Amino acid sequence: MDELALIETAQHGDLDSFNTLILHYQDMVFHTALRILGDEDLAEDASQEAFISAFRSISSFRGGSFKAWLMRTVTNACYDEFRRQKRRPTTPLEPDTTDGEEMDSPRWLADPSMTPAEKSEADELEHAIQHCLNALPTEFRTVVVLTDIQGMDYSEVATSIRVPLGTIKSRLARARLRLRDCLRGFEELLPSSFRLEGESNS
Amino acid sequence: MKNFPDRDLEQLSAYLDGQLSSPKSAQVESRLASDPEFASALDEIRTARSILRKLPARKAPRNFTLTRQMVGLKPPLPRSYFAFRFSSTFAALLLIFTFAANALAPRVSLPAEQSFSFASGGSAAASKAPAEAPAPEAAAATEAPAIQAPSSAMAVAPTAASPAASADSAREIETPAVSNKVPVSMSASSNQSQVRHEALIPVGWQIGLLILGLISAIIAFVINQNAKKKWS
Repeated sequence: MDELALIETAQHGDLDSFNTLILHYQDMVFHTALRILGDEDLAEDASQEAFISAFRSISSFRGGSFKAWLMRTVTNACYDEFRRQKRRPTTPLEPDTTDGEEMDSPRWLADPSMTPAEKSEADELEHAIQHCLNALPTEFRTVVVLTDIQGMDYSEVATSIRVPLGTIKSRLARARLRLRDCLRGFEELLPSSFRLEGESNS
Repeated sequence: MKNFPDRDLEQLSAYLDGQLSSPKSAQVESRLASDPEFASALDEIRTARSILRKLPARKAPRNFTLTRQMVGLKPPLPRSYFAFRFSSTFAALLLIFTFAANALAPRVSLPAEQSFSFASGGSAAASKAPAEAPAPEAAAATEAPAIQAPSSAMAVAPTAASPAASADSAREIETPAVSNKVPVSMSASSNQSQVRHEALIPVGWQIGLLILGLISAIIAFVINQNAKKKWS
């Protein structure tokens, strides 16, 4: 696939060229949206919106990493989805404390007071990770998804979400530690290699 | 795990991703060798990253390819479409103009006709001036020529004003001879203009414009529909 040629023809309004690009990137786009939003239906909507928006604004692409440019569109679509959700009543991910303040730590996910339904939902490792991702603040989650799940380098992520490189480093470090804290509650779900790795170094 | 400052954690995370410069990497490595808790923190971060990387990549549940309707693209239209659309719009505008002209013409044209009447009256007066000029002189000698002057004006447009003028004395007619002719010629010309205004823009033209506009619009619509059918 000659990506640059496809982008150039798409910039002249050729939808078929852009659809070829979509077929190449759609799995990555959907996976990113899914990990940021934590819901398949929402991720599907956000992915479609992202591609529509990307086609309409493809003339603004001035070279560089197309993947990073596309990821910016996806994260924007996800943020739009969050805004839409905010307008609707939703259940908060982090419960309030007795003082009425939001819990800072996501450890509540592994709390023994979890309902059986919640436990069964968190049975699988993927669900557990997604729960921990959902517990992160949006901006932390976006950085960790783009870096650790999509394998983008720091500069690409900085381009994608228009944030300085130093902020990316800071958010990534905190997000990783918070995730590790959260995943401790699901230790039994983790592959033995991860548990051993942690134990051998402690 | 000991609570390290954010700066230390950022360094560890960046070190893990190979994002540190060589001198900074060397600093971190020496500290890792001497501080087991620092090494433990690195391990925590590495484990979290490894778990995230283990997440199975989810495939898109469907294709997200776009249709032209989704992005609001319009089909390419032949030039003839734009020609017919222009023709239709132009005919419609002209038609509106004809209605407006017909409706406004009587009001707008009255002053115009007046000025025309004044001009014609003036010219008529000027043309008659040599003929009328001797009238006052003759009136001094005999009344016959003086009476002829209003009768010539009456011949142009006999109205109620002219008998009144003729009933007056010849001396009265002498001085306002020209001004008395003005209302006479005005009323005559406005009657003529009313006849002309009724047919300012003939109905035939309006019907022609209407037909032209409709036909052009229909052809443009058909071309557009055909283009859409070919496009989809």
